[in-house]
Amino acid sequence: MDWASILYLGVTFGLFIIFVLIVRYTYSRKNREQNEEAKYRMLDDD
Amino acid sequence: MEKPNYNTDIVRSFINWGIIWGLVSIMVGVIVSLQMVEPALNFPPYLTFGRLRPLHTNAGIYGWAVGTTFALFLYMVQRLCKTRLWSDKLARFQLWFFNATIITAAITLLLGYTTSKEYHELEWPVDIMVVILWVAFAINIIMTIIKRREEQMYISLWYMMASIVGVAILYIVDGAEVPVSLFKSYSAYAGTNDANVHWWFGHNAVAMVLTAPPLAMFYYVLPKSTGVPIYSHRMSIIAFWSLIFMYLWTGAHHLLWTPVPDWIQTLAMAFSVMLIAPSWGSVFNGYLSMRGQWHQMRENYLVKFLIIGITFYGLQTLQGPMQAIRSFSAFIHYTDWVPAHIHMGTMGWVSMIAFASIYYLVPRVYGRELYSVPLANLHFWLILIGQLIWTISLWIAGVLQAGMWTATNSDGSLAYSFMETMVEMYPYWWARVFGGIIFLFGVIVFIYNLVMTTRRGEVSPASERTAVEGRA
Repeated sequence: MDWASILYLGVTFGLFIIFVLIVRYTYSRKNREQNEEAKYRMLDDD
Repeated sequence: MEKPNYNTDIVRSFINWGIIWGLVSIMVGVIVSLQMVEPALNFPPYLTFGRLRPLHTNAGIYGWAVGTTFALFLYMVQRLCKTRLWSDKLARFQLWFFNATIITAAITLLLGYTTSKEYHELEWPVDIMVVILWVAFAINIIMTIIKRREEQMYISLWYMMASIVGVAILYIVDGAEVPVSLFKSYSAYAGTNDANVHWWFGHNAVAMVLTAPPLAMFYYVLPKSTGVPIYSHRMSIIAFWSLIFMYLWTGAHHLLWTPVPDWIQTLAMAFSVMLIAPSWGSVFNGYLSMRGQWHQMRENYLVKFLIIGITFYGLQTLQGPMQAIRSFSAFIHYTDWVPAHIHMGTMGWVSMIAFASIYYLVPRVYGRELYSVPLANLHFWLILIGQLIWTISLWIAGVLQAGMWTATNSDGSLAYSFMETMVEMYPYWWARVFGGIIFLFGVIVFIYNLVMTTRRGEVSPASERTAVEGRA
């Protein structure tokens, strides 16, 4: 495997890990309230 | 928290200009559809199909869709960040530069100056104008977000930022070109690289101009109209990031069965199918937000536009991946099926959401109640029926066309000449003209209703205060 292929594979794997971390952060019980709060706040009177 | 003094004046201006360019696009669209069935209506050199068609698409995408996006983003960013726009002067500059750019684009296209790249036809001086315009817009939105007084960022803000960053990258990379005269340039890329870069731009322009902004509007206007929050903010965030991670790989599905490397085509095909998940994440979020509120489809004209709009988004994002599969693409690519697919998106999804958003904004920024809800309902049915006639007739035409192109005799020769397949298209092309005229009529009803709202609509006490205070 040449360096370019290793780089492609690394970037792909890296992006996948970032995505998994985003999902984990968004759906963690600890952040649940915080991540749902915005949908109520936006309904405030303008 | 003290209510900020929002700038609504600039929103009004962008609404007006967005609608004007939208009307131009639809009228030119009807003219080019007539030119397809009546070639005598081509008046060379300026008013031929070849020159009017890019005017139709550019006015539609960059005038109507982007103009409406500017209006909505400038409205939403202030409310979602609970602060006034970062710079009123920059927004005013953006307005005038936007119109100068669209007018220059229209003139140069009619004069025949084109890069010949679909959806990126504008020659290099106009390209530079587009970049200046977008940078001015981006600075104002991003700076407003930075100085926000609201800690949590609602999903619409994420889609707005994605659109701003995405369009900037796409336009600059695809626009890399070598000027050889004032109005002629050649692409910086060659051969299949050029095609690949261009359709990476082309398909992601759909993502960042015709998907992310309408989703930002949908997520804002739906809960504001129904009075209940969206079903799940977390689900909207995951759908957003999935869309961002997947969309940028799909462009090469426009190049199936071409000399572009096979693995790139396969990659694009796979990511196109995977894209169903985030797209339908937003569709389900919209539907689930209506739990216990479905009666509003009957009672609230805004909800009707929004839910039918998101339904067409769902249909569009099933049809698109289906077309991106090699075997199906081999059958329908280059046929009339493809413009039907695009127009379900632009007339059914993007415009439905844009109309709903403008209906939502106008009473608030003009301080007057909508002149006539029955007229808004008439508008809804006219554009829905017009769009369905347009798209269904061209889907049938596309399948017929594909069948005739691929039909062979027992000795392997083609069963039909190209001219015979053309003649078969005429009834469907007339149906398209008819559908386009109905849609145009619907838009005229919409404009009449808005003009009457600003002149004779009942004064709305709450929104009047906002509108007056907000004048720049």
